[in-house]
Amino acid sequence: MSTQAPLFRGTNLVKEFSSGSSGLLGRAKPFRAVDDVSLEVHRGETLAVVGESGSGKSTTARLVARLMDPTSGTLEFEGTDVTHAKGAALRDFRAAVQVIFQDPYSSLNPKHTVERLVTAPLVYQGRKIPGGARAFTRELMERVGLNPLHSERYASQFSGGQAQRIGIARALAVGPKLIICDEAVSALDVSVQAQVINLLRDLQADEGFGYLFIAHDLAVVRQIATRVAVMSQGAIVETGPRDEVFERPEHEYTKTLLQAVPRINPEWDRRRKKAEAARAGKEADAATAADTTEASA
Amino acid sequence: MSESTSTPGAVSGEGSGPLLSVRDLTVSFRTAQGPTSVVKNLEFDVPRGGALGIVGESGSGKSMTSLAILGLLPKGGTATGSVRFDGAELIGMSEREKRRVRGDRIAMIFQDPLSSLNPYYKVGTQIAEAYLSHRSGVSRKQARTVAIEAMERVHIRDAARRVDHYPHQFSGGMRQRIMIAMALSMEPDLIIADEPTTALDVTVQAQILDLLDEIRTETGAGLILITHDLAVVSEVTDQIVVMRAGETVERGAVEQVFSDPQADYTRRLLDAVPRIDDAIGVLRTTAITVPDNGRSAR
Repeated sequence: MSTQAPLFRGTNLVKEFSSGSSGLLGRAKPFRAVDDVSLEVHRGETLAVVGESGSGKSTTARLVARLMDPTSGTLEFEGTDVTHAKGAALRDFRAAVQVIFQDPYSSLNPKHTVERLVTAPLVYQGRKIPGGARAFTRELMERVGLNPLHSERYASQFSGGQAQRIGIARALAVGPKLIICDEAVSALDVSVQAQVINLLRDLQADEGFGYLFIAHDLAVVRQIATRVAVMSQGAIVETGPRDEVFERPEHEYTKTLLQAVPRINPEWDRRRKKAEAARAGKEADAATAADTTEASA
Repeated sequence: MSESTSTPGAVSGEGSGPLLSVRDLTVSFRTAQGPTSVVKNLEFDVPRGGALGIVGESGSGKSMTSLAILGLLPKGGTATGSVRFDGAELIGMSEREKRRVRGDRIAMIFQDPLSSLNPYYKVGTQIAEAYLSHRSGVSRKQARTVAIEAMERVHIRDAARRVDHYPHQFSGGMRQRIMIAMALSMEPDLIIADEPTTALDVTVQAQILDLLDEIRTETGAGLILITHDLAVVSEVTDQIVVMRAGETVERGAVEQVFSDPQADYTRRLLDAVPRIDDAIGVLRTTAITVPDNGRSAR
């Protein structure tokens, strides 16, 4: 662990919901969605929280974003306790912590232009838009790989992958330090998903964001995480550096989870790479057009 | 388009031909801009006991293909070409005949079991109802027994008691088992599963895929698995059709297509799939552009 204070630290977080029917009489045992969870996110790193449905990973994300108050436990941001932050302190926290949601269409108003969507967080926070809305939006669009000339288009005019880029641009608008990605690439087609993962990684490399990456897809997590926390029934059952968790899982549940993931036969992958290399070699040969050495494996 | 294995077209014509034979299947919709084809000249065979995967990204036409086979296209959609099931042509078949084939001999499993089950009826009643509607001269009591047996076959424990439970009393994975039980009770010759595990947790997904595999080996039913997930297809099926914007990009044996893809699109798709056992620096995504869902006229 580094000596530097983490960007974010959650300690002994608990979230209980009153369960079911007994309602006002309130004798029913509350349901513990998050059960004594402690986690840290450092600058420039990605903590992936993985788990199946009902594991408490999304509730954890909501607690960290302060979209929901914990039943007990503390939240610290850059060393300051923000568990009960209000007013100006909460506003500062909101500017520093942004969330990217799963479904870009339902989290973006289809009748708003990109410019309006992207500048909205600043408008809500009563902040001045540096350089004016138009220029500001265009710059952000460029950063997330969208055509800046489309800033006047409506959210509904974009494809799923483009819409998710708008969601990312909106998150970037306030200059955050911690970005919570709640299943941010889960709804995307595989080719688009890969592009968005690359974008998230590039942005992190450039800006040093900390990511809290909530996901159920372990193959995606393998590509993006620095550290992994595995959740089951509200608790973290295993946590560690990515490759350690994937290659030497300790907990039974982690092992079961990893084993269940469908895999493309690695032998087929090897043969494909070979065939591709041979093909590329041939093309290169054809390009130089000098000799006709058959470079086949 | 490229093919790597057995050229279709060489259908034997005897009863020993493939279970399902699709030729030149085209699905079009009338739109304000004129007719648009969402599936174009599709061809494939499913042998008895065989498993075929149809993969593609959104807008590829893979789901429309299954609806066209079943004659369940939404309003305004028409299918042309040939779909021969056990020798009988399904395209142009009367609604009444089609209904007998569908459900009875071809079973369909959808992505979301909750929206396919009626929350107001006990699951056993629903399985029995489906059975009764396709089998004449069966008593309710017999149908109930069939329901219990079907639930046992998909490994729902305590089926005799669970048969009287309502859908909400089951987990997502259990509900999908019930849908499979419903399909199984008809003893179908062909099962079409459209994203059957997409809404399920990964551990549950593994169980359901195992179950489909088990059913196929036990009953000899053919399987068409429609999915966006290349890893799932690679584990479950032996033949694959890769679709994109209604076109067949590539077709062949799974191992062949995965280890030496001929189409550029297949190659790029395989590159984009994140591998759980391999962390790579940058995912290769050499600009796969997905055409606007049919709107850009082709």
